[in-house]
Amino acid sequence: MSDYGHDLLFGSFITPSASGAQQAVELAVTSDRSGLDLVTFQDHPYQASFLDTSTLLAYVAARTENVHISANVTSLPLRPPAVLARAAASLDILSGGRFELGIGAGAFWEGIAAMGGRSLTAAQGVEALREAITVIRDLWDTDTRGGVRHHGQYYQVNGAKRGPRPAHDIAVWVGAYKPRMLALTGSVGDGWLPSMEYLPRGVESLPEMNARIDEAAEGAGRSPSDVRRLMNFMNVQFSPASGGLLNGPAEAWAEQIAALALEHGLSAFIIGGDDRATIERFGAEVAPAARDMVARERGR
Amino acid sequence: MELGIALDLSEPGVSTGTWDELARLAEERGLALVVLTASDGRESVPEGGGAAASGEPSGEGAAAEQPATAGLDPWTAATWLAGRTSSIGIGVPLPDLRAESSHDAVTPYPMVVAKAGESFDLLAPGRLLTDAAAWVHAPRGASAEELSVLAGQGRPVVVPVDSEQEVRRLADLVSGAPRVVRPQRSLAVRARRRPGIDYESVPESLAGLAVEPGDPGYRGVASNYLRAGSPGLVLRPGTPDEVADALGYARRHTHLPLGIRSAGHGVSGRSTNKGGLVVDLRRMNGIEVLDPARRLVRIGPGATWKQVSAALHPHGWAIGSGDYGGVGVGGLATAGGIGLLGRAHGLTIDHLRGVELVLADGSQVRASADEHPELFWAFRGAGANFGVGTAFEFEADRIGQVGHAELTFVTTDIEKSLADYGRIASEAPRDTTVFLVTGRPRQGQWTVQLFGVVDNPDPEVIVERLTPFAQIGLLAQQQVVVTPYMGVMGSAADVGPEGHQGFGQPVSRSAFLPRLTPEFARDAADLLRSGRVYFFELRAMGGAIADVPSGEMAFPHRASAFQVTAMGANDGSINQVWDPLRHHFDGLYLSFETDPRPERLHDAFPPAVLERLREIKRHYDPNNLFRDNFNIDPHPDARTAPSGAVKS
Repeated sequence: MSDYGHDLLFGSFITPSASGAQQAVELAVTSDRSGLDLVTFQDHPYQASFLDTSTLLAYVAARTENVHISANVTSLPLRPPAVLARAAASLDILSGGRFELGIGAGAFWEGIAAMGGRSLTAAQGVEALREAITVIRDLWDTDTRGGVRHHGQYYQVNGAKRGPRPAHDIAVWVGAYKPRMLALTGSVGDGWLPSMEYLPRGVESLPEMNARIDEAAEGAGRSPSDVRRLMNFMNVQFSPASGGLLNGPAEAWAEQIAALALEHGLSAFIIGGDDRATIERFGAEVAPAARDMVARERGR
Repeated sequence: MELGIALDLSEPGVSTGTWDELARLAEERGLALVVLTASDGRESVPEGGGAAASGEPSGEGAAAEQPATAGLDPWTAATWLAGRTSSIGIGVPLPDLRAESSHDAVTPYPMVVAKAGESFDLLAPGRLLTDAAAWVHAPRGASAEELSVLAGQGRPVVVPVDSEQEVRRLADLVSGAPRVVRPQRSLAVRARRRPGIDYESVPESLAGLAVEPGDPGYRGVASNYLRAGSPGLVLRPGTPDEVADALGYARRHTHLPLGIRSAGHGVSGRSTNKGGLVVDLRRMNGIEVLDPARRLVRIGPGATWKQVSAALHPHGWAIGSGDYGGVGVGGLATAGGIGLLGRAHGLTIDHLRGVELVLADGSQVRASADEHPELFWAFRGAGANFGVGTAFEFEADRIGQVGHAELTFVTTDIEKSLADYGRIASEAPRDTTVFLVTGRPRQGQWTVQLFGVVDNPDPEVIVERLTPFAQIGLLAQQQVVVTPYMGVMGSAADVGPEGHQGFGQPVSRSAFLPRLTPEFARDAADLLRSGRVYFFELRAMGGAIADVPSGEMAFPHRASAFQVTAMGANDGSINQVWDPLRHHFDGLYLSFETDPRPERLHDAFPPAVLERLREIKRHYDPNNLFRDNFNIDPHPDARTAPSGAVKS
């Protein structure tokens, strides 16, 4: 039972379909015009029917005005950290500070190997991600003199030039489910970005998973509120009668979102479905209503 | 003269708003190109691999004029500019990455980089140039004279700019210059052209629909069903005259591979290639009835068997055709066609009564039992070596409702299952044709699928025919329906403008099996236990296939009981487990074979057949234009090709 006090964010989760490349861009533009705060795309380079997500992110950033852009989440094993850091910072500069870095340890290791990446165990993946986040933040840090050096178990950097410097503090949002990954999120992440459909017991898993993150944050000398709690909802639908989580009328959506924010500390709500009308209503009806409810409740 | 602007990624404090404005202005004023450059000496690679590997200077000892921090990532900047503009070319030089991946933190993966390029093309078709040789750099503020001298090289000239005034000056130079006829294709598309192809001389009849690597439609015509391809040019004729034009063009490019593609579904995928020509016949897909009384139909090579079965259905007719409706007519009707109506009605080629084709020299002939009979003989089994079939005349069979079965079994004793299937499938009445498919074991168990057709409309007969097969394992799933043949072919997905998206290179082995002996079942079980074969199929033959004398066409394998196919990961791995089985085999079916070893030709064609084919080849294709699929070299002993002139 915790509210970490973050402002609410509303976003879309759009399929980066290669056969409907323009459609994916259109849904991003719709999200932007509907007043959403975030547009996100999954990143699976080995999936032949998907576009390259980093290329799509840059293109979509150019086609939108206000919305922030992120992968959901970047497949680290195929995106070397220095490469990732510079692309992220560059896009942040170009877009006027609208890029955020969703990142994960990697999944589908067979696909990763097929693209030339290395296969890691789950435990190795966590450690590689911890190293990568260090390397990325070092490259973004242009106040420190000299090149970046990193001699880790998984990554080597020998005096790479720092920069470019991002236009704003890019948030690192970690896709995490298992204890080790939750601990990493709490100790070094700026946010936690899972999908509701993948939580072992859905909403009921939240207290325990939040607690693991809180504990790790405190253990690292941080505050639990240093870690934003984001959430993807893949199966959502506006319908006349309430039929479960984010499946019902817009008012019911807003009430459920307010409850998740106040009781479980979720502050970013990202919806899938690739449906233009749903995105428009999410921005026009759900977001303002949910923000009002949470503001009223927090003001007491 | 074509001019463009260059923007510097490493200028400190680059004001990106200015960038967007300069690029948009350049586009508005008719300049051809925006090139992104890095004056700090970084090589650029997609998605931020700006670090020149790991040996980068660390600040100390770096050249004094270099900025202290890295500039913008070129790939990100290029993609951003593509989104901010709508038509201007975007130039971003990319070095060739080492093929092997390193696991340092600064080098991107080549396959991810390649995919980034493809994605750019899908988002902003025909705009990306990655080869720095496609343009020439001029110094900042270069005069009109300097620019026209540089433009004399025939490439666009790019000038560094940092103000709108400079962009306007360049634009005025272009609009003041004598107008050249604007090429049909953008600069970026022309920059993707492959070496050794004379793109400017594509015949007028084909130019409108020809597809080059930089064209938006390229992705839909490059690859086949199972094989990735990257041809340098795809020609799409719609008439026999246009096919002749395409072959004339191919005769001027004999140094390149030449693929002839019907629908692109071939297992071996030989109708696409890397950097060569593809003659894509998908537009030639007409189906017409010539003579209802004789059930004579005329079909184009690009039609699929799904389309054919649907067109023949209203007449109560069908032509046997493999086991999948997405396959094209041309490939099957030149190689064989071992299908689910095989035991009842023979091979697809057994129904051919005549064929119209364009020969290597561009002449158009009709081959049948009494016109060019030798060519007709060769075309049925080795057609790809002799010409491009532009119309196939078939005699269809009267076929009503049939039983269509898909049965799934689980077995732990694959040897027994294979032996049982072999016995039952061979002993079945000829109205019953059943194929077996299996693959790798999982926890010591195999999933075995049977696909069959019983050419009889009576459900009781159908069940009676299929019952013996039920003993080959534990029946896990079954679907048996009574359907017209159209229903058997109808499940195939329709391939639209998206085309096929084959990945990698298929590795497949094929063989004909005279009898399925206990020894073969034992050895095949070992093959499957090795785990190296992920797809294994037995196609039952016999029946009507064996009624045709083996000398009647260039398909001599009439006495076979089964056609065997095995697919694996790579040649080395599959040869190791497949070659030991060779003593069981007698020949192979060329459509399912990808083994590059030259002796395979002798498996496809026994000596007497091969010699006869060579003789016919010497007559109809003396210069070996058609050589990319189981080539029958007309002069195997000659060191060089003959200089015999081809009629033009």
